Amino acid sequence: MKIIIDGKRIELDDKKTILEAARENGISIPSLCDHQRLSPFAGCRLCIVQIKGRKGYPPSCSTYAEDGMEVKTKTPSLQRLRREILELILSEHPNACLICTEKENCDEFKSTIRKVGETTGCVLCPNNGHCELQDVVDALKVDKVRFPSVYRELEIKKEDPFFDRNYNLCILCGRCVRVCHEVRGASTLSFTYRGSQAVVGTVLDRPHLESGCQFCGACVDVCPTGALSERALKYESLADDTAATICPLCSMGCKLEVESKDGRILSSRPAPEGGVNRGQVCVKGRFMIKNLVHSPRRILKPMIRKDKELEEVTWDEALDFVACRLKKYKGKEVALVASSQVTCEDNFILQKFSRAALRTENIASPVSVSPLSTYRELVQEQGLKAGLNFRIEDISKANVLFLSGADLPVSHPIVWLEVLKAVKAGAKLVVASPQELSLNRYASVWLRNKPGTEVALFSYLSKAFLESEEDGGHSRVEGFGSFKKSLDKLDFSQVAQTTGVPKEKFMQTAELLLEGETSAFLFGAGLTQNPWGAQNLAALHNLALLKSGRLYPLGLENNLRGAFEMNNGHSDKGLSIDQVFRAVHSGSIKALYLAGPLPDLQKAKIEFLVIQGSFMNDNMEKADAVLPAATFAETDGTFVNVEGRIQKFQKVIGLSGEAQPDWWITSRLAKKMGHEGFGYKNQAAVMKEISRDIPGFSKISNTKLDNDDEVFVHEEVKGKEKFIPFKPVLAPEETGQKYPLLMSVDYNLDYYRNLALTQESKGLRMIRDSRWIKISPEDAKRLKLNDGDTVVVDSVSGKTQGRVRISGALPKGVVGANFLWNEDSDFSLVPLSFSSSFKNHILNIIPVKIKRGK
Amino acid sequence: MAEKVLTQHFGLKNVYQIDEYIKQGGYEAVKKALKLKPEEILEEMKKANLRGRGGAGFPAGVKWGFVPKVDKPKYLCVNADEGEPGTFKDRYIMSHNPHMLLEGIIITSYCVGIHSAYIYIRGEYEAVALRLEEAISEAYDKGYLGKNILNSGFDLDVSVHRGAGAYICGEETALLESLEGKRGNPRLKPPFPASVGLFQCPTVINNVETLSNIPQIILNGADWFTGKGLPKDGGTRIFGVSGMVEKPGIYELPIGTNLKDIINKHAGGMKQGKKLKAVIPGGMSAPVLKADEIDIPMDFDSLVNAESMLGSAAIIVIDTGTSMLDVLKAVTKFYSHESCGLCTPCRIGTSWINKIVKRMAEGKGSKKDIDDIVRLASNILGKTLCPLGDAAAMPILSIAKKFRKELESRL
Repeated sequence: MKIIIDGKRIELDDKKTILEAARENGISIPSLCDHQRLSPFAGCRLCIVQIKGRKGYPPSCSTYAEDGMEVKTKTPSLQRLRREILELILSEHPNACLICTEKENCDEFKSTIRKVGETTGCVLCPNNGHCELQDVVDALKVDKVRFPSVYRELEIKKEDPFFDRNYNLCILCGRCVRVCHEVRGASTLSFTYRGSQAVVGTVLDRPHLESGCQFCGACVDVCPTGALSERALKYESLADDTAATICPLCSMGCKLEVESKDGRILSSRPAPEGGVNRGQVCVKGRFMIKNLVHSPRRILKPMIRKDKELEEVTWDEALDFVACRLKKYKGKEVALVASSQVTCEDNFILQKFSRAALRTENIASPVSVSPLSTYRELVQEQGLKAGLNFRIEDISKANVLFLSGADLPVSHPIVWLEVLKAVKAGAKLVVASPQELSLNRYASVWLRNKPGTEVALFSYLSKAFLESEEDGGHSRVEGFGSFKKSLDKLDFSQVAQTTGVPKEKFMQTAELLLEGETSAFLFGAGLTQNPWGAQNLAALHNLALLKSGRLYPLGLENNLRGAFEMNNGHSDKGLSIDQVFRAVHSGSIKALYLAGPLPDLQKAKIEFLVIQGSFMNDNMEKADAVLPAATFAETDGTFVNVEGRIQKFQKVIGLSGEAQPDWWITSRLAKKMGHEGFGYKNQAAVMKEISRDIPGFSKISNTKLDNDDEVFVHEEVKGKEKFIPFKPVLAPEETGQKYPLLMSVDYNLDYYRNLALTQESKGLRMIRDSRWIKISPEDAKRLKLNDGDTVVVDSVSGKTQGRVRISGALPKGVVGANFLWNEDSDFSLVPLSFSSSFKNHILNIIPVKIKRGK
Repeated sequence: MAEKVLTQHFGLKNVYQIDEYIKQGGYEAVKKALKLKPEEILEEMKKANLRGRGGAGFPAGVKWGFVPKVDKPKYLCVNADEGEPGTFKDRYIMSHNPHMLLEGIIITSYCVGIHSAYIYIRGEYEAVALRLEEAISEAYDKGYLGKNILNSGFDLDVSVHRGAGAYICGEETALLESLEGKRGNPRLKPPFPASVGLFQCPTVINNVETLSNIPQIILNGADWFTGKGLPKDGGTRIFGVSGMVEKPGIYELPIGTNLKDIINKHAGGMKQGKKLKAVIPGGMSAPVLKADEIDIPMDFDSLVNAESMLGSAAIIVIDTGTSMLDVLKAVTKFYSHESCGLCTPCRIGTSWINKIVKRMAEGKGSKKDIDDIVRLASNILGKTLCPLGDAAAMPILSIAKKFRKELESRL
């Protein structure tokens, strides 16, 4: 297809709007409502053009190029019209600065702090410098507005966390409304009222907190003016540096753009283009980065315990002290806990350090309690053909999606965006979850099973599928015979009683699975990290195999996969993280090197505890030495995201205090302990060794990582297809008279190293109810409990206490809570889940009794 | 007086009830249509060239022909959101003769292959909506709606949906949004509703009066229909006459009847002692005609030639005692209030025009104000997302052009 724009001949391969075609060819057309990720809106009317042979002034953002079209974008009549339209917009927007004759000389004022109740000009606007309206005014050279300036006198909304909404600055471009609906699927925002009263708002004008907002900040990012602005930025001056990095707060690996001034981070935004996130991010990446990097809980100096008190010392003294004490332990007496949130380089050195200097295989980390490990173990045991690598974008190509054990908008926001894309394109979503999730409104079927009945749920689904399909030719596949036999034993008359899901839903799901051509089975820690995880996964695997669907293991931490790879081949040799936890309490481990998370060590029976971390927490009271580690923002390194994509990033600010990168600390310590081979000059030198020693990283060089976004962990996908025999385990222990409620302990990823993010952000505390014991309204009524009441939770394995929140998302008879690596000592779920006798799990489903009191 | 088609039963007792309607020959058209092939009906409709009575005048048969043959449900939406100021014809049809509309709906649905039809009626027409619902329930009872209508194997469900009081919802795509339960904002076109309409499915949207014509076309044939009115613009129109005439009301007359005759003969001429100043010939958004411009046949093309439009054929008669500035004020107030707020020129433009005209009406205007409203209205005309912008700009521009002297005298 050929078109001519302003005399320039342009070849087009695929369907594009005139605006897109023009921009790609260096022809600028002013526009305010158009956005590359959003559907055309044609509201601002600035991008109008003239097309030969057509009447009027069609908007180029919504008019698609057609072969032979001749388009003019800058005729005098167009420019006049645009200026007059812009004048209309400016009549409702503070414009004193925009059209000021002195505006060129105003730079010296631009970097002042901009905290004012009412914005009357650019220098007082929080978005000064980030404003697209400013750009368009400059481009169209508007220097007068023939209308008096109208202040709409709308109330500035400040009741929600993270951002303010000042609709007096709004130009009704609708980008926020569209991004919230089209891209994020939250649909919190809409236009309200009409005509000149039109304004963006929520249902019944309720706060965002009550309107299903995820606080991803996408609306703030697309806002072309200062109408939506990050609250914390209002008190800041303009940035002097912008740098890219990778978000460390979940496994998506979003590309962030971090603004800083004088070495202090001001804000973090999604990089507008590229990366897995392509301009999107979640509440943590958008609003937490600054808080965590500059947390008052940061450890900024090395400390050692002298006379029962931790004292700040020099690095030399600290390392000498630690080296000298650690030398006394080896083998089974000592353990190291690594982190799946630090870089591959850091993890590699921690591994090497443990074996060389600590002389132990007890290298534990959250890796062993992740879906990744559960899945890999299953694959290896059975000799199955299944890789861990995938591409998030492939998910949107599926016609039917099956989700279990993850609340995607919270735990895997970018995966969620792809699922949403698929659903909007007509794919069917099936959700298996005892709790009601916000995403359920996009689901075709919600299988609300009783907690812990997943094996039965998936088996009945397999049975329903086999009954619905004609002949799938499964008998050729190994293990089908015995799998079929175990399904034959199932009786649909029992299904509702066993799983809590009526038979129709199984048939409906089977129908959807049959209809959809390609299927995706997504599963998270909620499915695999309880004591029945491996059986759950085997049952899901068989269901997926019937449909020839792909399994997508969705791990949680940002560098889970990287840490997993660095641990290559050693996973079974030492203790797992939960075993380490029990061992430090039983006294069988005498020295612990804690570079990763472990909850509540106050009662641990150990002789020597080293903490290598970035933030102070309760464990420090037990520590003999504290080594301050730099955060991701202050280091270079690589993370591997949930897809297996290796992403290199660089520091965005300098080191804080005396904190150093983890690889630096551990290799210095190894040297102090007298070991060779730790003389790395920089992170790149470590990476060089990784590419030599770690199979998944072979042939991956620093240069390749610098220049290519598409580097994946090397993996060989070989093996066979097979139905896995599994035990038809059903549910945890039944609830009874003594313990009448079922408690489901789920995961919580709101932590970074040894910091709980909710500690650092009131906003996050407002939107996440993770530090509560959630109970259904029915049970709360029966137990006469109110929101906020303190209760004691008692179970066979132990008790804890906490505060109650009543939540309609929970079914009757079930209580929920979220396990966090950084448990506060005043609300610890450790007694209920982590410390029980199963290996490799951190979550649990356990009968409990709840009563008011302390 | 000419033969009446749409209003033939008006004045008969209880004809809104199905038994009486059937006594008068009702539902014969449906019986006949269901024995025809859908293609035969479409052919006949194309031949009849029934032009849409909602305002745009697009031939109904051609519109139906645009519906693609895809494996998706198809819908019929009846536009009964009669919001154009001055217009009250559909209200009469629906309250006096709802079954005639239902017959039109059944035949259209059968022809296009539709099994669900919605009547989107403006919220203020509560009594009319209730009457429609009664009529629908009668039709279900008699087997004219529901499953297997008259043993033809054809199924159709019809329901009434009341609007919530927005003029914009009469715009067909805003109507669809509203019907889907969303805010009534117009959609971008293309895609057109015939291919992507209600719930993303192919959709036919027709006006009440348009659909009500169909039973008689089926019974009497396309030739009979084109024999009325003009060759390319056949049939009758219901002219709703309001303003300073002796007998305001609705008049069903052949298309092409002279406007002068409608006012002077049918509507009884000007009210005693009043002198004609201007006529708005097709609902408030139609450009105004001066007293010396009313010798004109009332059909789509003649009015376009006179730089006005037939629109909804609602004739508003203005006398010399009425100030055009007051007319302008009423017009601008209405449109600035009814703009949906989606696109800039309409949202802010109509609001400024309204403010300026209000100031002029208070005697504080200047000559520049008239230039300003003309400039603002010109920047709306043809430059907005939906036709509401044009509807707002056209009367303003025509009043400013034709009555500039009068406006200036009020400054």
